[in-house]
Amino acid sequence: MNLKAPKRAESYIPTASMADIAFLLIVFFMVTTTITVDRTPVQLPTSLQRTEVPKDAAVIAVDRSGVVHFSDGEEDSRVMNMRDILPSAAFVMSKNSLKFFLIKADGEAEYQYIDQVMEQLRQAAVRNIAMLTDQEGVVG
Amino acid sequence: MKLKKKKQNPEIPTSSMADIAFLLIVFFMVTSVFSVTRGLEFQLPKPDEEEMDQTLEEAVHIAIDRSGNDCVFTVDQQMMNLSDINVYLQPKLMRNPNKFVIIDPAPTAPYRCMVDAFDELKQGDVKNISIPTQAEKASWGDVM
Repeated sequence: MNLKAPKRAESYIPTASMADIAFLLIVFFMVTTTITVDRTPVQLPTSLQRTEVPKDAAVIAVDRSGVVHFSDGEEDSRVMNMRDILPSAAFVMSKNSLKFFLIKADGEAEYQYIDQVMEQLRQAAVRNIAMLTDQEGVVG
Repeated sequence: MKLKKKKQNPEIPTSSMADIAFLLIVFFMVTSVFSVTRGLEFQLPKPDEEEMDQTLEEAVHIAIDRSGNDCVFTVDQQMMNLSDINVYLQPKLMRNPNKFVIIDPAPTAPYRCMVDAFDELKQGDVKNISIPTQAEKASWGDVM
């Protein structure tokens, strides 16, 4: 009796679905990442209570020495005079009166700068603001 | 002479698709910056809101100042630790859940002191927190 040597099964890794997996990951990353409009480096203050704020909010960044950067939430932020916040905020509010304003201020900034920002936002009839913070107890 | 024509199977080469896709993933991961979108929410008063005036005198007043690198909290004229503020407030809130609390930071106090106090009040479920600006306080006159 002549027994034929068993046919060797060819081993291979199925790679046809690899592209599907990769594109799924791409879509996931594209949906979850938000494009930052403001890159002012600030050391945010920390808090335990934190709530999620809308992604298209306008940003007012105040750095340690009181320099203000303003962004309407669509364009990149630019340096702005403290006095010019009121007209800019009023213009943003004229398009969307429920717009959120984020105050992204350095924890070491003197309060008078934030006070001036808040006063102008109040005059521009802004209602919703949020103060960005880092999670307390987490370094970095 | 009979020429046999071999039929070729039409096929799109897809083996490099994964490579391209992963290249795109790496590109997006490297270029994307994660932005902080969490913080403390706060509602500014309407510019014509007048109801504050009646409750102003019963409101709890928290003054904030700095001493070196530390924050100094003065609640209703008493110096207090940050963690004692809620202990002081809870009985008042039990009697009146809508009690107004005014945060009044000094112009030179660091911003983080104000955020600390605000965070503490939020944890204590204080509903009415007010952070008047210097201009507002000037318009209130001597009430404070």
